[in-house]
Order: sequence, then structure tokens, then C-alpha cells
Amino acid sequence: MVGSAERTDAQVVRDILSGDREAYRLLVRRYGDALYGHALRVVGDPDDAADLVQRAFVKGFRKLGSCRDPERVGAWLFRILANGCKDHVRSRKAHASLESLPDIPERGPDPLAATQESEVRGRLQRALETLTPEQREAFVLKHVEGRRYEEIAAVLDVSVASLKMRVHRAREALEGLLEEYR
Amino acid sequence: MKDDVRRHLDGDLPLSDLAEESRKEAESWKRLTAAFKVELPTSSMPSWLEDRVMHEIESLPEPGLARKWIAWAARPRPVRVSPLSLGLAAAAVATLFFFRGALLDLPGPITQPGSPETVAAGSTGAPVQVYVQFSLDAPGASSVAVTGDFDDWKGTHGLVDPDGDGVWTGRVPVRPGVHAYMFLVDGSTWLTDPRAERYTDDGFGNRNAVLAVAVPAT
Repeated sequence: MVGSAERTDAQVVRDILSGDREAYRLLVRRYGDALYGHALRVVGDPDDAADLVQRAFVKGFRKLGSCRDPERVGAWLFRILANGCKDHVRSRKAHASLESLPDIPERGPDPLAATQESEVRGRLQRALETLTPEQREAFVLKHVEGRRYEEIAAVLDVSVASLKMRVHRAREALEGLLEEYR
Repeated sequence: MKDDVRRHLDGDLPLSDLAEESRKEAESWKRLTAAFKVELPTSSMPSWLEDRVMHEIESLPEPGLARKWIAWAARPRPVRVSPLSLGLAAAAVATLFFFRGALLDLPGPITQPGSPETVAAGSTGAPVQVYVQFSLDAPGASSVAVTGDFDDWKGTHGLVDPDGDGVWTGRVPVRPGVHAYMFLVDGSTWLTDPRAERYTDDGFGNRNAVLAVAVPAT
């Protein structure tokens, strides 16, 4: 029995720590989409994203007792995931070339349009691949997910000034793409 | 990138404050970031992932008692305390500190080998006394007594050496408090206990050993 969705995060965390493992399902439901969406945008591959989210949730469960602010367990889980994504990107950069990007599924019935779309998407993804993991994370959170700097800073536990610098460096690195959008 | 464009993209400057050229650049950036939003993959978590996560979690071993206790002890939680119980607790702590403080101010512990024992308790109204074990290495001595302010220096507590190894021992009832004491060997030689942890000047150029006896726990 998962229980009422009206339970606060802190109540859910307390129940889990008291031995109610099934209560963790509530946290998976509450934060699964946000975590998966971020992982997918950062790493690009659905299977990798799913693995990263699973690892983050399992690690979160094992370390739940060390979550200092159970009311913000979502942000805490997000930080675990974000760190996992950065490690994944670093590892992939170390072991693969840009050409080994995951296949991008085509969409739409028009093969020509689909090809053009996938070309654009591939170009943007390849451009993201040139960023450091920290720059990519900051750029995605700010400009793709549309979060405020203060919100990102609170979640990632870094200063707003540091985040702005990361996003600025990311923009500089992506400036070559700008010509197509003038 | 121009500084005003950067500030605009960071949300620190409205578009209307930008010069014409900067505004065009800012709009180009908006189109590029919009393209990222559209083109980067986005999706809800696959439905099967929830069960996969929970399956792995359910298969994890139960934490041991020690880990459970540590997790319980480390978890912050609100504590509700009534003013009355808080006051009683504070009084208990103050009492404890008062007695400990009184003892710690003393020159030292110190009963010589052996554990003090309570011999008389308050049920009869008699003062509490503690048996203290004294000992002195005095080979060749014919008699050894221990005396101090606990017996008004009368020298009435003799020690014994039943096995003749030169170690004289005896248990003497002493009231809780701080006491100076000496050994009296063969009825005429005063010896300071060499194993005392604290000493005090006797005012005549000699040192008395100092003994502190705590109130026994009830």
C-alpha cells in the first residue's frame, strides 16, 4: 500500500526510514519524470537515462538517512542524479568519439522532413557534447529546462555566480551555432 | 558576446534596454535556445522504470540493527519538552554538577587500592560511611596504622600483614569528604603514603596524603 499522495515528503521519508520500503514508490512517482527528463536531455540516450535514474533512486534509498532536509528530498535526489549524469558524460567522453552518439529516432511521416529534423537535432546534441559536464548541466537547466539561477543553485549547491559563469562559457562554446538562427 | 546580451540572457536586463544590434543578437540566442528545447529529447519516465526501481530496492538486504540505530540516532527530529520537565532536568543536572564540582576541586582521588564500600545507609539516620582500603609496603615493621582527620589523628585503625610479605593492608570506614591522612609505623614513625595522588602541606614542613571519598550511589 503506497498510501496517500497527500503525505509530505518529510512524512514519506520518515515512513521509509521506519521500515516502510513501499513508501519509496511515492518519491519515485513524484520525482521520476523530472529526473528522467533531465537525464535524457543531458545524456541523450533513453536507456542510459533510465539506468542513471534507477541508480540515482537506489542510491537515494540507501543514503536516505543522510538526507538533511527531508522536506526537500526531491532536490536531494536531483543532485544525486545530476552527479551521476556528469560522471556518465565524463566517462563517455573518455571512451567514445563524437561519432558514437546514440541513434536519434526519426519522427513524422515525411522522410525528408524527418531527416532534416534529425540533422538539426544531431547537430545540437553534438554541440552539447563539446561542453564540459558542468557547462552542459548548467546550460540545460537554464536554457532548456528554463529554471531560475537561484533554483538551480539551491539544487546543485553551487553559487549563482558560478552557475552564470558556466552558462556563459557554454554559450561561448555554442556561439558557432548562432549563425543559423540569425 | 556583448555584456548587455549576456545580462539579458541571464535575466538581469530587459530586452527593451538593449541597443538595436544587441537586441538582434539576443533574439538569435532566443531562437537557438528554443531549438534546443524543441530538439532535445524529452519524455516522461517510462512506466516500467518505477517497478524496476522498486524491485531493486525490495531486493536490498535489510539494514542491521547497528545501522538502523545509527540512522535513527542521526536523523534530526523535533523534540517536545514541557517547561516543568525541562526545569526538573536542569535541576538534576545542576545538582550533579554541584557534587562533581565539589569533588573535582579536591586535590585528588583517592583511595588506595581496593573499592570503597557503603556500610551504613540512611534508613537508620546514621551517617553514610565508606570502607576505604589502605595499604603500605613496610617490610620489617612491627605495626602499621593509618590515621587522619577522619579519626581525629588518634591512630586507632591498625593495618595487618597476615602473610608476612611486608604489605600492610586494612579497610577503614571513612565519611564522604576530603581527608588528610598519614601512616604511623611502629607507633612512632610517620610516613606519607607514597601512592597517594594528591598531597597537602601539614603546616609543619611535612606532607599529608589526601583522600577524597565520594558519596556512594544509592
